[in-house]
Amino acid sequence: MSKAYFNYAGKRLLQAIVVILLSYVFTFVVVSILPGDPITNVLNNPQNGFTPDEIKEIIAAQGLDKPIPVQLWNAFSGFVTGDLGLSMRTNRPVATLIGEVLPSTLVLASAGLAVALFLATIIAYGTQFLPPRFGQGLLRGFPSLFLSVPNFVIGLVLIHLFGFQLGVFRVIEPDSLWATLFAAIALGIPISAQIAEVLIANLDHESGQDYAAVARGRGLGQMRLFVMHLLKPSSLPVITVVALTIGELLGGSLITETVFGRNGLGSLVQRSVSTQDLPVLQAVVSLAAVVFVVVNLIADLTYPLLDPRVKLLGSQQRRPTTADDSSLPISKAVTP
Amino acid sequence: MNDRSFRPLLSRRRLLTATSALAFAALVATAGVTPALAEDGAHDGGDVVFLIDSLGDTWIPNNSAISSFQGHIWGHVTDKLLYVDADGKVSPWIAERWEQNDNATEFTLHLRTGVTFSDGTPLDAAAVVANLDIWYAGRKSEGINPIGLFPKTYDHAEAVDATTVKVFFKKPTLGFIPTLGYHGSILISPKTIASPASAQADLSKTSGSGPYVVESWKEGDYVTLAKRKDYNWGPVAVGQTGPAHLDTITYKLVSEPSLRVAAVQSGQADVAYNASPQELESLKSEGLTVATPRYLGFVNGWAINTKLAPYDDVKVRQALQTGINRQEIIDTVYTPDWKLATSFIQSNVPGATDQRALLAYNPEKAEKLLDEAGWKKGSDGIRVKDGKPLLLTLNSNPYLATSKSIDELISQQLGKIGWKVQIRAYDVVTFGQKVKYGGAGVPAYEVTRSFIDAGTVAGILTNANNGENWFALDESDKTLNDLRDKIAGAGSIEARKPLLDELQKYVLDQGYFIPRTQIVQRIYVQSPKLKGEVYNGVAYASYYTATKSE
Repeated sequence: MSKAYFNYAGKRLLQAIVVILLSYVFTFVVVSILPGDPITNVLNNPQNGFTPDEIKEIIAAQGLDKPIPVQLWNAFSGFVTGDLGLSMRTNRPVATLIGEVLPSTLVLASAGLAVALFLATIIAYGTQFLPPRFGQGLLRGFPSLFLSVPNFVIGLVLIHLFGFQLGVFRVIEPDSLWATLFAAIALGIPISAQIAEVLIANLDHESGQDYAAVARGRGLGQMRLFVMHLLKPSSLPVITVVALTIGELLGGSLITETVFGRNGLGSLVQRSVSTQDLPVLQAVVSLAAVVFVVVNLIADLTYPLLDPRVKLLGSQQRRPTTADDSSLPISKAVTP
Repeated sequence: MNDRSFRPLLSRRRLLTATSALAFAALVATAGVTPALAEDGAHDGGDVVFLIDSLGDTWIPNNSAISSFQGHIWGHVTDKLLYVDADGKVSPWIAERWEQNDNATEFTLHLRTGVTFSDGTPLDAAAVVANLDIWYAGRKSEGINPIGLFPKTYDHAEAVDATTVKVFFKKPTLGFIPTLGYHGSILISPKTIASPASAQADLSKTSGSGPYVVESWKEGDYVTLAKRKDYNWGPVAVGQTGPAHLDTITYKLVSEPSLRVAAVQSGQADVAYNASPQELESLKSEGLTVATPRYLGFVNGWAINTKLAPYDDVKVRQALQTGINRQEIIDTVYTPDWKLATSFIQSNVPGATDQRALLAYNPEKAEKLLDEAGWKKGSDGIRVKDGKPLLLTLNSNPYLATSKSIDELISQQLGKIGWKVQIRAYDVVTFGQKVKYGGAGVPAYEVTRSFIDAGTVAGILTNANNGENWFALDESDKTLNDLRDKIAGAGSIEARKPLLDELQKYVLDQGYFIPRTQIVQRIYVQSPKLKGEVYNGVAYASYYTATKSE
């Protein structure tokens, strides 16, 4: 690997660290200036009947009366040394809370991604090879349709149909295999739309290329042509889209988890947002930032290795979503 | 979706029905071999799934026992010194009997023997003293709150011997005894109390002496309770003292209300908590059990800010009192399970008296009062005085789902007599920050709240002893202050009763508190297979006495 590549990688890594730190500070400031926190919420709830003196004493004991920069410094120095602190809402260690819910979200997100990739490939294949009278054109409308139906609607329909009508799974066991599969479908459908869009655009481009015409001329079957020749060059930009989709997988899992009653990162975030449980939000946002940044970093770093045509100009050079015609070795003039 | 697309589903469903019928027949056939029958013919065993909309926040007993969600679990895992039923009647439980001195400043509790916490520690006088101390003081530096409703007049408690506890108060505290049967007054093992807050926050590390123990739990997901086989100290008032019948109770969080109900309808769960009132009639007709138990406390209504014009005028407040059609609220928003308010406290509270005459709907009288107060109807039907419209701003209570619909209905009713009503809806956090009793711009604070004893009511209404000063009167109303002091100082229930009646009459007549309806805070939709549950004074369902048929 060249020196240029390591230069490029170093720059990207530095960028990634800055992004994570900024997201930490930003979250802290935003949540701190919002009114309320779980402790004050409990104390102010008239049902509990605390006296003003008691409220003052408890808030001071938690350090919530200190200026925001001081609170930020205390939290940040803990975070850097790996101490995520205690959740204000539950009084339990933040690391434990996240550790409890992370596996469920990882399973759902990877299953959702698998569903999305599967659906996108099927749709994209259909748009290339399904005869027009069997809805080839119709398939091209699917991504827009998938994007426009909110995933909680898909989720509720799936639950009523398969959970209650057919009894395939029980809503009270949301981590069972079938329940997970249907949750993954609800999560994967909207995400498949973006992947399918890019895949279709690239397949359209690739199948117009000379090598595809040559392959077709040699009498290659549709499936073979798709799998052996078209899919690989068309998939390269999909890596970029998948990397960008990670954020949506995390966001979408919040809604999907709520609808399916799964206890994952999404539902932890939801509970923490509604009570403004700063230490948990802080940790989850930072975790999400790390995941997002790392996934994109990996995409950025592997891209030049997979496609030598990508120039290593640091952040100025964006990754292409379709292959750049002018750099193609075969000239268009050769087309028969 | 059209009908045709459902056709294959229906045949599939029929198949499922057939198979489950077969399974049922098989069960019936084998039922004769299982000898698990209690003396009264009820089945022992069975598992119950209870779907709930939240499992609350922390599990530190002091901070969570008062929550409307965690209270369900604490009710099974812990016991209380006394039992208070849905009518506010106090009866023995862990305390077998009790005495008090003449001015209600010293109480002696005599405890039942042989009671143990699930960690093996005996529930003796020392354990009770440890509990009383932490209920009163908490450990604030650690984030363990005091129990807000525990009498602030508490001085100290001492263990006379293993089964006798003496409790001392700085001032007469007649409400102490009923307090022991409520809310946060749950008995926790002294070992748990001594442990740090982060350990107390782990539900599996907390030991109570209740008929169930925590078998497993996951934050924000579920709590499974398992029966304690050696339990033998249930409250006599529920008609059972031995172990519970059901093997396990699982509280599972399902935040979508329609899913909770649908899961019970389809037999996947046994109880759905907090369904919408409008659905209840149709659920009943499907054969499901619907329970709307009542709790002891204030009715749903408004505490009026008497500092804010025009509500500083008694005639305007009285016009508000008579200008609301309370029957229409029940007919439109609720079902017949909800009752008309007869005072500002619920009618099942001991000491509540019937003040219906003061709450009758009388729009003509309301219009006359407003005319007298100088509010004249303008051409647009809105009353005006000194160029200002007669305005009422309502902040809908975010804790109560039906609050906004009631506000809208009241806005129509008051509109007819010339009031301009503005409705604001905030989320829970913003509401807590912005809307306070007697706060600027808050003419009417909506109350939905249970309390321990009718005697505590008087203190809350004014600002004496850190009271909440609901009507922003401070010390200005001498009549109210006199009643408050007499009620607080009363040494016996009998002496207090006429004073409480006078207080209710006065507060309603002055238009300080405007009742809306008696409130049902907890709604249970239950499978007909599950029977025999008991509802306590704060309307929590206890499945300690319940059985489930196959």
